[in-house]
Amino acid sequence: MTTEKHAMGKSMKRKEDPRFLQGKGNYIDDINLPNQLWMALVHSPYPHANIRGIDSSAAMEIPGAVAVVTSKELNAYKVGWLPTFHGLDKQMVLADGKVLYQHQEVAAVYAETREAAYDMAELVEVDYEPLPVMADPYKSMTDEVILRPDRENATNHIFNWNVGKKAETDAALEAADHVVKQHMTFQRCHAAPLETCGCIAEFDAMGRLQFYVTSQAPHVYRTALFLVLGIPEDKIRVISPDLGGGFGNKVPVYPGYVCAIAGALVLKRPVKWIETRTENLTSSFARDYHMDIEIGATKEGKVTALKVNTVADHGAFDAAADPSKYPAGMFGIVTGSYDFPNAYANLDAYFTNKMPGGVAYRCSFRVTEASYAIERAMDILADELKIDPAELRRKNFVQPEQFPYQSPLNFIYDSGDYEKTMNVALERIGYKELLKEQAEKRARGELMGIGLSTFTEVTGAGPSKHFDILGIKMFDGAEIRIHPSGSGIIRTGSKSQGQGHETTWAQIVAEELGLDPQNFLVEEGDTDTAPYGLGTYASRSTPVAGGALALAARKIREKARKIAAHVLEVSEHDLEWKDYKFNVMGAPSKSITMQEIAFAAYTNPGENEPGLEATLYYDPPNMVFPHGTYVAVVDVDRDTGETKVRRFLAIDDCGTIINPMIVEGQVHGGLTEGFAIAFMQEIAYDDEGNNLATNFTDYLVPTSLESPSWETGHTVTPSPHHPIGAKSVGESPNVGSPAAFVNAVIDALSPLGVKHIDMPLTREKVWSAIRNAEALAAD
Amino acid sequence: MKLEYNGTEQVPLGKDAVWAFINNPEKVASCLPDVKTVVVHDATNFDATVSIGLGPVRGSFKFKITLEPQADGQRMNVKINGGGFGSVVDLLAGADIIDNGNNTTTLNWSGAATMRGPIATVGGRVLDAQAQKLIAGTFANVKTRMAEQG
Repeated sequence: MTTEKHAMGKSMKRKEDPRFLQGKGNYIDDINLPNQLWMALVHSPYPHANIRGIDSSAAMEIPGAVAVVTSKELNAYKVGWLPTFHGLDKQMVLADGKVLYQHQEVAAVYAETREAAYDMAELVEVDYEPLPVMADPYKSMTDEVILRPDRENATNHIFNWNVGKKAETDAALEAADHVVKQHMTFQRCHAAPLETCGCIAEFDAMGRLQFYVTSQAPHVYRTALFLVLGIPEDKIRVISPDLGGGFGNKVPVYPGYVCAIAGALVLKRPVKWIETRTENLTSSFARDYHMDIEIGATKEGKVTALKVNTVADHGAFDAAADPSKYPAGMFGIVTGSYDFPNAYANLDAYFTNKMPGGVAYRCSFRVTEASYAIERAMDILADELKIDPAELRRKNFVQPEQFPYQSPLNFIYDSGDYEKTMNVALERIGYKELLKEQAEKRARGELMGIGLSTFTEVTGAGPSKHFDILGIKMFDGAEIRIHPSGSGIIRTGSKSQGQGHETTWAQIVAEELGLDPQNFLVEEGDTDTAPYGLGTYASRSTPVAGGALALAARKIREKARKIAAHVLEVSEHDLEWKDYKFNVMGAPSKSITMQEIAFAAYTNPGENEPGLEATLYYDPPNMVFPHGTYVAVVDVDRDTGETKVRRFLAIDDCGTIINPMIVEGQVHGGLTEGFAIAFMQEIAYDDEGNNLATNFTDYLVPTSLESPSWETGHTVTPSPHHPIGAKSVGESPNVGSPAAFVNAVIDALSPLGVKHIDMPLTREKVWSAIRNAEALAAD
Repeated sequence: MKLEYNGTEQVPLGKDAVWAFINNPEKVASCLPDVKTVVVHDATNFDATVSIGLGPVRGSFKFKITLEPQADGQRMNVKINGGGFGSVVDLLAGADIIDNGNNTTTLNWSGAATMRGPIATVGGRVLDAQAQKLIAGTFANVKTRMAEQG
C-alpha cells in the first residue's frame, strides 16, 4: 500500500470514473427485479378542469394490463395527498376531483411490460369540464378564480415574507441623490438532468419496502414515506443508486413514487416507473420570480438603500423545496457583496395553473434569483451614474475587516475578500485593454459588451436552530471505519449525483488521518447503512457532510492517539500529530503512522477499546458564503441580434479547495447551465395554460457547439467556522453567471439606449431590442 | 393555443341539396380528411376517429361531433371536441349557406380551435398550417362530395 500524503488540494483523478467511463454505472433504469410490473401515468391536457369521470375499461383491454389506479383508490388508503417539503401545503398524488395544471398526474396504470403500460395510459378516458385558467401570477392575485378551494382561505395568495427595515429603507430611498428602479423576471426554468427520475418499489416477504429511487436525499425520503404512508422507518429501505445529475430536480417526492409504492403494496409485485423526458420537464420547475428592485445611492455612487418587491409564481401547489422557516429560501442574500446600510425585501407568493415546484436548481434556495437581481441592478446604477461597473462595485464592497459581517437582511457572512477576487479577475481578463477595445469598436458602431458579476451566495443549510425540512434539522452524519490495513470505508448522509464525493470525501479523511485516499471506499445512498443526513442539494454537502467527515476523522485521531501512546509506551500527552503521524515530543526517532495504529487497534490495543471507527453528526454553527467575480465579453451582431460570448472568466472563492480538478469541473457545468438560462431556456405558457417547453426541442440544452470556452481561477478565503475552511462551489457558477451574461449584452446595447431585457436573451429578443431602440432614435 | 380560420367554397348544387348533405352525419363524417372510423349516434351526433400527423406528434384523434343546424336553414354550426395522445382540441366551426340562385350555393365557413397538450407545444411549429389544411380540406371535401352526388 502506498500512502499519498497531502491529499487535500490535489487534483486526484475521480475514483468513481472508471465505472462511469466503462458504462458500468448502476442507474435506476439498470435495475430490474424479478416479476416486476411497469407503471405509467395518465396526464391532464387541461390546465384547470373538473374531472367528471374516468373510464379505464378500454385500457384494461390491452394485453398485459393489470390495474388502473385513480385518486379514489389512493384516498381509500389515505394516501391521496402528500405533504410538501416545507410543510405549508399538501399536494395531490393523483388529481382529486379536479386538475390544477397541464400534465398533472390523473391516473396510474400498471402492466406486465413498459409498452403495455404506455398503451394503457393512452386509453384511459377522462371526462374533463374545463375551468378558467390562471397562468399568470398577476392575474391570479386578483382572486377572480380561486384555484385551491381545498385550502382554508379562499385566496390564491399563499404567503407573504419580508425581511429588513421597511420604514428606514423607504426613508433612505427618499433621501437618496439617485434611485434606480427596474422590474426584472427570472424566468421559469428546469434543472433538466440527463437522467430523468424513476423508482422501483418492492415489498419483501416480511412486508418491508425496498425502494430504489433517484433521490438526492434518501433519508428525507424515508421519513417522508413514513409520514405519507404510515410505514415505520424500520420497514423502509431507500436506496438511491448512481444518479445522472440532479441539480435539485431529484429532491421532491413525486406523485409517481407514491403510485409505484401503492401499486407494489396492493398488487404484491415490484413496480417500476421511469419518467419520460416530458414528464420530467413538466413535473417541477425552478425560479419564476418577478422582481421590482430599487437602489438608492449618493451621486458619487455609494449605495444607501435596497428595496425589492417580488411576486413569486409557485404553481398549483406550494411545493417549493425551501426549509420550513424560509418560504422564500435565502432570498435575503439579495444585498450581495455590498454594504447596504438599509435594506428591505418583500415577497408574495401565488398559486397559478402551472406545475408546482420552486426546486433549488443548482441554487441554495432562491439565491440565484437574488444574485441576479442585485448584480443586474448594480450595473443599471453604474450606467445611470456614468461610473464604471467595476469601480461602482469597488466603492460598495463589504470590506475584509467587516467580517463576520451582519447583513441588513439577517445573515452573518463568515468571510470574504471581494475586492481581491475582483482584482484577480480584472487583471486576468485584461479589463483595461477590453475597455479600450470597446471604445474603438463603439466608435465604429460595433456592439461589444463587458459584463461583471461580483456575487456572494449563502450555502450550507444549515444550523439546526434555523433550518429544517418537515421538522428534521438540517445536520448531516458521517461514519468512518478504518480497517486493520489502514484502508477504510466512509459513509455519509449526502448523495452524489456526479459531484465526485467518492473522491473528495476520501481526500478529506485521508488528509485528516495521513492515510491514502485511494484506499477508502465511499458509500452513500442506502438508508440501511448510511448515517442519517439531509442529502445533497443547495450546495450543502461540503459545508455540512464534509464538516462531519473532518470532525469524525479527528475523533478517530483522538482514539488513535491513545493506541499510539500504548504502542510507543509513552503518555498520550507526549504525542503530537505532525507530518501525518504521531511523534513523541523530544524523541524525533519515535513515531507511529496511522496505518500502524490501525493495525494495532485490532492486534494490540492495550487497555483501549479495540477498533478504529467513529460516527459524528455535524450541526454547522453558521452558513458559508462563497463568492466570486465573473466577467463575460460578448459581441452582438447588430443586424441579426446574434450574441457571441467571446470570453468568460470565472474567479471563484469557495474557501479551502479539496480537489481543484473537481472544482473546475463543477464550475464548467454550472457555467454551461447559466449560459443556457441566460440565452435559451424558459418554460413559457400560453394564455390557455399550455406548457410550451415539454421536450428538448423546445427547452434547449446547450451542446459543446453552443457553449463558450470557460476560463477559471480562484482565490481562497477560508471559512473561519468550517472544520477545514471549505465553503462550496457547485452552485456558484449557476448563481453568478446569468447576471454576467445579461450585463454584458446590455452593456453592448447600451449605446443604443437599451436598459434591460429579460432572460432568455434569444436572438429574437435582442434583435427586437435593437430595432426598437433604432426606431426610437429615429423619431 | 387558439387558432381561427375561415374560407369560402362554391358548390355546384342548389341550397336544398347542400342543406340535406350537411345534415347527414355520415356524409359529413366522410368529408373529414384521413377519417378511420365513424360511429353515428343520431341525426346530429357522431364520433369519428381521424389520423393526425403534426411534426413529431402522430396518432389517432377521437372526436365527438355535434351538428347544430340553425332553424332558419341558413347556417350550420358544428361542435367538435376530442383529442388523443394527451392532447385535446375544442373546435367551433360554422358555415353560412348562401343560395346564389343559379343552382349553386356558397359556403362561407369559419372555425375557431383551442388546442391543449402536446399538439399545442410539440406540434406548435407546424400546427397552424396543418390545422388550416385540415379544416380547409374538410370543406373542400364537402364541396367535392356534393358535386359528385349532384
